[in-house]
Parts: sequence; C-alpha cells; structure tokens
Amino acid sequence: MERSTKPPTARGLTDGRDRLVTADDPLADLQKRCGGTLPGTLAVPELLEIVQQGRRMGLKISREFSAFDGDTLVSGFVRVHPLGLDEGEGCEVLIENWESRAAPEPNTRSVAQRLDMIDRACAEVVGRLDADQRVQIIQTSAADTVSFERVVAQKPNSVWSDHVTLEGMAPNRALHWRLLDGARCRIEGSNRPWRVRLLPIGGQSAAPRGFEMFLVADYPLNPQEAAPEEPDVELDHTRLIGAALTPVLKQPIARVIANAETIRARLAGPLRAEYSHYAGNIASAGQLLNGLLDDLADLEVVEAESFTTAREPVDLADAAQRAAGILGVRAQAKSIELVIGPSESVPQATGEFRRVLQILINLIGNAIAYSPENSVVTASFSHSSSEETLSVSVSDEGPGIDEEQVARVFDKYERLGRENDGGSGLGLYISSRLAQAMNGALAVANPGEEGATFRLTLPVYSEE
Amino acid sequence: MNSAAASPIESVLRDELARADRALSGIAPVLGHVLVGSGHSLVNDAVVARVRGMLNDVSRQLVARLSEPVGGEEAFSAPLAAKVAEQLAQDTPMLSYLHALAMEGLLTEKLDRRAAIDPVLSPLFQELIASQDALTGELAMQALTAQARFTQAQRRMQLPLLDLSPAALERALRIWVRATPVESEASATGQMRELKGEYDEAQSRTGLIARLVSSMRGGVVAALELEHAGFALFVSAFAQQSGQSRERAILACHEQQSTRLAVGLRAANLKTSAIERQFLSLDIPIELPRDLEALAPDVAAAMLQDGSFGSAARKEAQ
Repeated sequence: MERSTKPPTARGLTDGRDRLVTADDPLADLQKRCGGTLPGTLAVPELLEIVQQGRRMGLKISREFSAFDGDTLVSGFVRVHPLGLDEGEGCEVLIENWESRAAPEPNTRSVAQRLDMIDRACAEVVGRLDADQRVQIIQTSAADTVSFERVVAQKPNSVWSDHVTLEGMAPNRALHWRLLDGARCRIEGSNRPWRVRLLPIGGQSAAPRGFEMFLVADYPLNPQEAAPEEPDVELDHTRLIGAALTPVLKQPIARVIANAETIRARLAGPLRAEYSHYAGNIASAGQLLNGLLDDLADLEVVEAESFTTAREPVDLADAAQRAAGILGVRAQAKSIELVIGPSESVPQATGEFRRVLQILINLIGNAIAYSPENSVVTASFSHSSSEETLSVSVSDEGPGIDEEQVARVFDKYERLGRENDGGSGLGLYISSRLAQAMNGALAVANPGEEGATFRLTLPVYSEE
Repeated sequence: MNSAAASPIESVLRDELARADRALSGIAPVLGHVLVGSGHSLVNDAVVARVRGMLNDVSRQLVARLSEPVGGEEAFSAPLAAKVAEQLAQDTPMLSYLHALAMEGLLTEKLDRRAAIDPVLSPLFQELIASQDALTGELAMQALTAQARFTQAQRRMQLPLLDLSPAALERALRIWVRATPVESEASATGQMRELKGEYDEAQSRTGLIARLVSSMRGGVVAALELEHAGFALFVSAFAQQSGQSRERAILACHEQQSTRLAVGLRAANLKTSAIERQFLSLDIPIELPRDLEALAPDVAAAMLQDGSFGSAARKEAQ
C-alpha cells in the first residue's frame, strides 16, 4: 500500500528584516491567506517568531508550528537556517510534514462565548444597565466617545437607547434586549459605526437582573480622525494611486490608446475625417493619462524614505543625446531644432544614468512643449573645477520664468497657470527630487529673462 | 567611595562576600523544598549530582574546543573549565533546563525498573523504524541512535553540546565567551561561530524526536501511551499536544506535579481512562476528578499557559 505522497516539504527564504522573499507554493499560499504579500513580512505569527529567534541566536533551530488560514489548520515542522551576512542575513525556512486539514467544527456555545469575550475586550463604551435597561454606570475610553459619556452622565437613570441612534429600528424604548443585542447604532460625537451588545446578568436570561452593555466600534479610532484639522491626505492619495491603481489602470488605458489609434489611422476601414479626428483626441488624452500614472508612481518612489540612487559614472553629453533622440519626433512635429552643445573635456558626473536620462527627458520635453514653432532648444555643458561639479543646461526660446514663479516651479502639482495641457505638475518636482537624491541640484538659471533655462548640477565622478 | 578607588584586596574580598551572600540566600528555598516534599522530591542527591555532572561536562567540552587549535591535552585549562562551570551554575534558565534533563534521565530509569519500559527501543520506535515510509524509518533510526547516546550519557552524567536546546546552547556560549581570558577571546569567538554553524536543532536528540512526532500526524495519539512509546517519545508528544515546553512536560511527570500532568493530558484530548493509564505507568497514586473530561482541551491548554509558570516556561523556550 502506497501512502499518498503529498509535497513533504515547503521551502522559503527570508531576508534580514524577516520578509519572505521567495517561497514554494504551499508556503506562498499560506502567507497570502494570512494577509501577507510576497515579498513581504512573514505573516504567519508562529513562523515569524521562530525566524526572528533563529536569526537573533544565529542558530539552526526547529519547531512544530501551526497556523489557521481562515479555512484550514496548517501544521508542520519548521526548520530555520540563518544565513550569513554575505547571503543577505535572512533565513532559509524549511517546513517538513506539511499538513493541512479542515478546522474542527467549533461548537456554537463556545463560539458565542468567545465572541462575547472579544466584544468585552474591544468595547470602548462599557456600561451596566438595570433590568429596565436604565444606565447605572457608564465608562468610555475613546477620544470620540467623551461627549457621549457626558450626555449620558447628565441624565442618570435614563434608558440607554434614548442616547443613541439605532439603525433600522424605530425609536422604541420597549424593545426586548434580544432584539437590541447586535443592533447597529450611531452615537453623538463619533463618526464611527457602532454595534450594541447587551449581555444579561444573573442566571436566567428570561428575567435578567440587569445587563452588561457594550458598544463596539467597527474599527479603531484613526489618529487622523481624532485630529481632523490637519489631514494628511496628500501622501495617502499618491500612495493609493502609485501602488494600487497604476498596475490596474495601465492595461485598460493602453488598450484604449491602441484602439483609438487604430480608428484614427482608419485601419479598420474608411471613416469620416471628423471621427478620425475625435479618435486622435481620445488617443492623446489616453497618452496624457498614461504619463500622469507614470508620474504618480515615480512620485511615490522618490518620496519613499528608502529611496536611493546608484553612484556610477554618467556621461552627461551621452544622456542628453539619448534624451534628444527619444524626443526627436516630438520636436520635429513643431519644427524645433534640438542642439546638443560641445562636450569635449567635460569629465563624467556621479549619478544613476537612468535617473539622469529621466531628468533630461523631462527638461527637454518641457522645453519643446513651451517653445514656439521653428525655434531652437539647446543643451549645453559646463564644468566647475573649483566646486567639482558638472552641469547641463537646457534652454528654450519660449516665455521665461519670472522671479516669483521660480519659487514655485519645483513644487508638487505646480502648473504655473497652465491648466489645459494635460501635465500633472509633477515632472519638475520629481526631477528635482531625483537630482537631490544624487547629491545634485536642479535650478532655473535665468530667472526673469526671455527663454527659460534649467540647469542640472551633479558632482564630478571620483573613485573613492 | 567608588570602586575605582578601592584597593585590589578590597574588591577581591567584596566579590567573595557577595558570593557568600548568594550561597546563603539560596539555602532557605532549597531546604524548604526538600523538607516539605514528602517521599520523592524534585530536588534530591541524584538530581544534584546529574546537574553538576552535566554542567562540568558542558563547560569541559567548551573549553576543550579552545585548546583544539593548539592541539594536545596540555593546552586544556582546567581552571577555566571550573570557572565556566561555576558561572553556568549561576544561570537560572540553564539550571532549569539541566534539571529537567536530569529528571528525564531519572524517570527513564525508574520506568525501566518499575514498569519495564525500555529506555531506548520502545514498541512504538520499532514500529516507526519499520514504517513503509522510508523517510520516517530513517528519521526514527536517527532518533533512536540519539536516544541511545543520551541514555548512555546520562549514566555518565554527561551531555553532548550539540544535544543542547538552542536557548541553552546560546546561553552557554555567551557565558563561556565572557569567562574566557582576553588573550583567547578571538579564538573563542571563532570557535563560537564554528559551533553555531555545526549546530542544527533538527539533528539534536530532542529535535529528531520532535520531527518524528510531527511526522506521525494523526497517529500521534499512539505516542501518548507511555508504555507503548517510551518516555522520550511520550514526553515530546505530550509537550507538543499540550502546548508546553518539553522541559515543562518532563517535570509534569514527576509525582509532585500530578495536576499538571492531568491537565496537560486533558489538553492533549485524552480520555479519563487513558489519563489513568499514564498515571499508573508512572506509578503516581492519584484519584482523578470524575468529571475531568468536562474540561475542554483548549481550556486545559489555556490553564497551562496561565500563571507565572506558564509565562516563565514560554520565556525559557525563547
């Protein structure tokens, strides 16, 4: 008789901060079901504990572990092998005897008891009622329940339900406690939804001596909610777009653009000129939306505290050439000539080539966008040996930037009054953050003059 | 007066007095325990002798590693070994750990003597070795070897370093490196790293047995039958099923801890009749409460975790 051969082991790898980096399917699956991500901090509490312990002691340790993933009980025997410094300070996690079985059916009585215990522990409004549901004692423990407590305390011996707004129930003080237990309500001074618990005191639930009353909020009080005067929406908002929405939105937008282009080019058959024109508008609006998403994703990256750039030698002239090459078509469309100035005897700068290129594309792109037709956009280079810096300046023949605008031009979402060109107002902000991250700077070189010149300055490359 | 100003003789004498104070303060609790405990005490001469023997053996192995690179027995520093042993003896978690092992050794012998339960090759071990699953068979063979090694070492009052629990090994290493004179510190640190590399809990005796128990899955209830499983397997399965440390599970099998054993076996979801059989095997006279089965396993497990002992056990395990 053969025994069923399930995968006897599952392997995973964690890094120096106990994040699961790679994992075999069963482990990866468990990690996700326990609310974690891959890569992401180990979400299985018992595994996290043993990994931390192994790493701290620098010893190969092993232990039985079990976890509940919501549906099944998973158990196994975990072996943790801490890896050395050169292998990333993490641990190799090896789980033997992996077994998952259905969680035992808990009996309803013990489940009810447990739920009562949880509510007791989580309630932020706790009271004691007499047999007629009149409040005898009330205590609250959250910032948004203070005014509720005051209101109730001012009217001793009143029925508790007079002070709350019960949802989906006509105000009626004669309700039986069983109907009120579990009801949802709102209380004065709090924006949070609350749930009522009434637990009878005294042996007989038919004629209780009194009640324990709990109000349990649906979620804990957010510190921001307690202090609504300074909402930090900006950061959350970009994080939402950057991390959550970008990957989801990219694909449909790309499809919209591709289809619109197909219509515009009349690839699917003859079409009246104005419809082709509309399709062109849809395509370009899609392009703008796409660029905006890129900007927001970049924004999140540069604003992260952990953001760093590589330190490598960068040839500024090469970067400028490539940026000009990428933007060549756009320049041609407006008959703008891109001139990359002489760059002999300019040493290499320190930075990350990819990021320098990103800044130059932004600068040259802006210059093309704000220049009149048939004009020239110039990139020129200079080297200050006294300060050991290199700079590249991008100049256009468009309207200049005056002193007052200079102060704002690198701010987030700043558009300098241009509202209808579809820009996000993030490009220069991102470029300037990138320049700073490379120990450089981005500035307006000629405030107040006709034709704007932006100068990117970076340190000269030296081998340390 | 600050200590820097104190003369050398003064600080030496201060140290000696502090040591003497410690010795005195330890007398009353131990004496109290020995006097109150009727019959077989948790602390007796046999336990003390075994703990002392294991302390000396652990420190001897550690210090011997220092002299290894130099080669030859001459390099072994007996005074250093004594010093390390003395400092290990002042470490409470270390002592608790060794005490539990000594108790395991003694109880294994007692079961052999009174109930003819084989200290090494129990019927369950035989079954596992003959398992159709090649991996389980191999694991059982390794665990058996380790158990034989342990039984022999216990008779000699010794304890191989690589059979220590990770927590105990870490403490021992720390104490050892701290006690090592400055000139050999670099060597000690290197040896410590090497030892840590050699160590693998999963290959230690208790690690192998725990893996074996884990591989039994649903059949683990067979290991909760003392007569069938033998003490080592029984204790590991008992610890695992009741959510206690293995050390705590060993001590629960001492007659003075019979309530812990009853509650623990209930936490492992054993019926009253099965619990009675284990008490019988251990030769512990007890009348179990009639409605013991009314105690739900998870409530029993929670009871074991409550109280100072439970939290102390968890801390020890870390």
